[in-house]
Amino acid sequence: MAKRDVSPDLAATLNRREFVVTTGAVVAGGLVLGVPSLGQETPAIETNIADFLKVPKGPHALPGPFPGRVVKVTDAHALADDKFDAKVVAAMFEHGVRSLTGTNMRKSFRMFFTTNDVIGLKVNPVGAPLISTKPEVVEATVRWLVDNGVRPHNIVIWDRFDLDLKSAGFTPERFPGVRIEALQTMADEGKSCRDATGKHLSAGNFDPDAFYLLKGVFGKGVRGYQDDEYYFNQHVFNGEQSYFGNLITKRLTKIVNLAAYKNTGNGISMATKNLGYAAICNTGRLHAPLFFRVCTEVLAAPPVRDKLVLNVTDGLRAQYDDGPDKNEKFVYANNALYFATDPFALDMVCHRELVAKRKAMGVNVNEHPKFTDYLHYAQRLGLGVADPARITLVEVKA
Amino acid sequence: MSWTKVPGMAAPSRGCSCHRRATIFCAFAILAALAATGALAADDTDLLPTSGFAGVWQRDGAAKLFRGAELYGAIDGGAEIFLEFGFERVTIQRYLARSQEISLALYRMSDPAAALGIYLAKCGKETPEPSFYERHTAGRYQLACVRERFFAVVENPAGVPALAPVLVAFARALAAKLPASTPVAELALLPKQGQIAGSQRLIRGPVAFAELITLGEGDVLELRGAVTAAAASYGDPGAHTLVLVPYLDAPAAAAAFAFLSRHLDPEIKPLAETATKIVFKDYAGGFGDVTLAGSVITVRFHLAEPPR
Repeated sequence: MAKRDVSPDLAATLNRREFVVTTGAVVAGGLVLGVPSLGQETPAIETNIADFLKVPKGPHALPGPFPGRVVKVTDAHALADDKFDAKVVAAMFEHGVRSLTGTNMRKSFRMFFTTNDVIGLKVNPVGAPLISTKPEVVEATVRWLVDNGVRPHNIVIWDRFDLDLKSAGFTPERFPGVRIEALQTMADEGKSCRDATGKHLSAGNFDPDAFYLLKGVFGKGVRGYQDDEYYFNQHVFNGEQSYFGNLITKRLTKIVNLAAYKNTGNGISMATKNLGYAAICNTGRLHAPLFFRVCTEVLAAPPVRDKLVLNVTDGLRAQYDDGPDKNEKFVYANNALYFATDPFALDMVCHRELVAKRKAMGVNVNEHPKFTDYLHYAQRLGLGVADPARITLVEVKA
Repeated sequence: MSWTKVPGMAAPSRGCSCHRRATIFCAFAILAALAATGALAADDTDLLPTSGFAGVWQRDGAAKLFRGAELYGAIDGGAEIFLEFGFERVTIQRYLARSQEISLALYRMSDPAAALGIYLAKCGKETPEPSFYERHTAGRYQLACVRERFFAVVENPAGVPALAPVLVAFARALAAKLPASTPVAELALLPKQGQIAGSQRLIRGPVAFAELITLGEGDVLELRGAVTAAAASYGDPGAHTLVLVPYLDAPAAAAAFAFLSRHLDPEIKPLAETATKIVFKDYAGGFGDVTLAGSVITVRFHLAEPPR
């Protein structure tokens, strides 16, 4: 039975397996639904966003219990002598969580988690040591979870690629008992990324039943890649599906999104991009036709939408230009952490803040609406709040 | 006698023997010059400091080389602007001394304007080290410099303060092996009066242009990676940003102007339009204009008032 025929009441009983199977049936039958009618800015390119939206939301689905609410905690002592003070950062983390939820840390924990959850902490290791997610922020998160009964081996620090995690400070020595994983690896120069059957070495890490579809756009002949094999090494698959990692669809029961604070061109590479381009593979083909739209639609997919319970953007250091990789010239001490259950409101707050910073620093800012359209699109999908008039920013100075 | 065509050199006509000898001499001279800059080599390893540099720095394995579109393997976000300006290859070498590390990335671009275009996009407010005379900006973690068609970044990944002078030493050694810089003519077109220091930019396509403004989708100025535009911001009174686009000839400029007028972004509201001028209000409430004059298109924006 194709999911498009499922009544709302029946659909409410679908489990994850049924979701992915019915989605697959729709696609296999050539009935790609495209995007729903959502207003004048409805994109024309066909993806399987409609399939995502048909799956009833889970109890923890975006935008979570605090749509449009963003907490910014600032402490000028967080960064001293070019080193982060772990105690100050931990105190900022607690201030942030409590200010977001309006209750203590134990009740806040229960609002989002159970002790049996397997919790993924999505970090951004790109740009270490200047502009990646800081281990001190991750340590504060781990401590909160463990103090409330989560076993360390049920916590997974993860990113899409394995190559940057160690250099960004995410090592077993620093996080004993905690799992540190990546969705994929890349073969070094001169070595094959294929196994004996011809599949990518990391192919088994992705869920063949759960994918983001961009119809007619394949990972072949993608501009910017030497050839299709080069692309394959980096992106694991060459088809028109971007599969979700098994980690996200099968193992994790909750996700905490720990993004870094930086620009990408005139947009930002923070909360929604940290997951939008890291929860799936085969993303190189998506940049040109979709770019920011991926940050909305991948977060609309049930495995992300229903598990992402908390977003913390690490703005202890920030970068206002030439991101997303590090450029020391544009890195500054911002001494702030940002908290939200609603990643789209969070990104809108940070986008506007970064635009103001760019102007203050004399950077020529392009304020075309296309750089925030994806956030408004998320609002129309009911995933979050993007209208600044409807966003509440709570500023806490320690 | 058969002739091998050297890039950038016309095949000589058959003539007297002294003419042929002169031509052969020129060919050898050009080949020698190309060899000296590594243009004929498979990579630019020979231009990098060798093991034993400054007595302690050892190359850590072989250099990594990324050519053309392989750049996506070397840069995590931000490769497009290199390709747009004209990227040929980057040679990346790591150096170790005891437990410390320095990394050097040497980008060979297509020409000096391409290298300077990248440098201007990345240098921010320049903070040069006075003892190093090449154009550069130096910090504790990174030093970026440009010379002729080469753009280089020397990194101190751990930010060890004592290594900041080592970044300069590496850059100085590298620069000594590169050909001398030549002025980029397009920048000289920009008026100097009122120009805000550090605001100069070069543009060869939609990625660099979108850093400033969106007038339309894609390569709306028809730069095609071949035409180099120059931009700068100007202060009060009449603060604005100026882009000058010198096309090959007047018909090319006219064609680009016509293309732009047909493909203006929906968020750009034309207030007045003639065959050679468009006055507009942009999506952020600022004003601007596009003017065609001979072989040059001039774009002004971020004006507080509509231009007359």
